[in-house]
Amino acid sequence: MHRYIERVVLAVFGLLMATVVVAQDRPKVVAVNYPLQYFAERLLGGSAEVVFPVPDGVDPSFWRPSISDISMIQSADLILLNGAGFATWVDRVTLPRSRLVNTTAAIKDQFIVTESITHSHGDGGEHSHEGLASYVWLDPTLAMAQAEAIAEAIKARNLAPPDEVEDRLQQLRKELEALDQQAKSAFSDVQNAALIATHPRYQYFGRRYGLEISSLEWEAGATPNDAQIAELQMLAQETAAQVLIWEAEPPVEAIEAVESLGLQSVIFPTLVREPADATYLSSFEQSVGTLSEAIQMRQ
Amino acid sequence: MGLASLFAAAPLAAAAHQLVVFASVDCEVVTVEAKFSNGRVAQTGEVRVLDGENALMTTLPLGSDGMARVPLTSVDHSSGLVIEVDTGGHDNYWIVTPEDIARKCGS
Repeated sequence: MHRYIERVVLAVFGLLMATVVVAQDRPKVVAVNYPLQYFAERLLGGSAEVVFPVPDGVDPSFWRPSISDISMIQSADLILLNGAGFATWVDRVTLPRSRLVNTTAAIKDQFIVTESITHSHGDGGEHSHEGLASYVWLDPTLAMAQAEAIAEAIKARNLAPPDEVEDRLQQLRKELEALDQQAKSAFSDVQNAALIATHPRYQYFGRRYGLEISSLEWEAGATPNDAQIAELQMLAQETAAQVLIWEAEPPVEAIEAVESLGLQSVIFPTLVREPADATYLSSFEQSVGTLSEAIQMRQ
Repeated sequence: MGLASLFAAAPLAAAAHQLVVFASVDCEVVTVEAKFSNGRVAQTGEVRVLDGENALMTTLPLGSDGMARVPLTSVDHSSGLVIEVDTGGHDNYWIVTPEDIARKCGS
C-alpha cells in the first residue's frame, strides 16, 4: 500500500512538472490590442501564449506600463504593434527590434490623419497636435492586412508549423471577407448616412462603408453633462444625424437624454478589448446589423 | 465642423509638436534627451526619476541643451527607472528596465 501511494505521488509530481515545463517552453507573443490578440491566437492555434497586458479599465491607447510590464514584454518572442499611433507607450521604451512587428507597415498609405487639439502655452503660441486615426481593425480589409502581417511574423520565427499557419490564415481571410461583404451589403442602401459617435473611433469603418461619422469627445460609458448634450444637439442639427454610436453601454439616463433630442442610440464596441461573450468577428457582425437597422428605421 | 471633429483624409496644415523624451544607459549614467517633435530642443524643464514602484527618487533640471545626466550611483536602479520630463506645457516619459541596464553593463 505504501509503495502504491508513493507511485501515485511520484506520478502526480511528474505530471505537474511536465505541465510547468510545457508552460515555460511555450513561446510568448504580446499584442497591444484585442484584435491583434485574436488574430494571433487564431493563427497560432495554441502553439504560443498570447498576452494582452493592459489591465481592465485602462484605455490601451494611452496605457502607461510599469517597469515590470516592460520587462515582461521585452522577454516576449514576438511583440505585435498596431502602428498608426496606437499605444503611445511603445515609443517610450526600448523594445527588441528583431521581435517587433508593426502590423500596419504595409497599409500606411491608407492611414487617416485626424484633426487635432489646438492649445496655447508658454512662448510657443497657439499650436495643435495632429495625429492618426488608429482603430484600423474596424475596416475588415485592413484587419486582414494586419492578420497577414502576423502570419508572416509567426512563420518567419517558426512559432508554429508554416503550413498550418497558412491554412488558418486562409480560413480567417474567408471569414473577414464575408464580414466585409455583409457590412457592404448592410450599408449599400444608406450610403452617406450621417451619424454621430461619442468618441472618434470609427474613421476607418466610416470610410470603408461610405458613412459620414462625426465625433464627440465623450468618455466611454459616462453620462454626458448638460454642456455635452447641448453640443450633441448642435452637431445633430448641423449634420442631420439621427443615430448616435456609443462605444460602450451608457447609463439609462444618458440614452433617455439622447432620445429626447430625437436620436437613436446604438452600441458598437470598438473591439480594442475583448467583448463579453463574443469575438472580434461575432461582435463586429452584430454591430453592423444593429447599426444598419437603426439607420434604415430612421430613413 | 463646429465643436466636433469629422475625420480628415489629408494632413492638416497646423504647427504640431509634442515632447519626445529618450533615455540611454551606458552602465554609469542615464542620459536623458528631451526635444519637441518639430525638432526644437526643450531648453527648460524638470526631470523626475522614479523607481519601479513609481516612488520619486530625485529631480534635476533639464539643461539648455535639452539634456540631463543621472549617474547610476545616485539612484537605486535595481527595479528600473522611470524618467519623466515636464516642460510646463508638455510632458512625457521613458522607461528603463533592469534588463536595459544589465545589457549595457555586459551581464
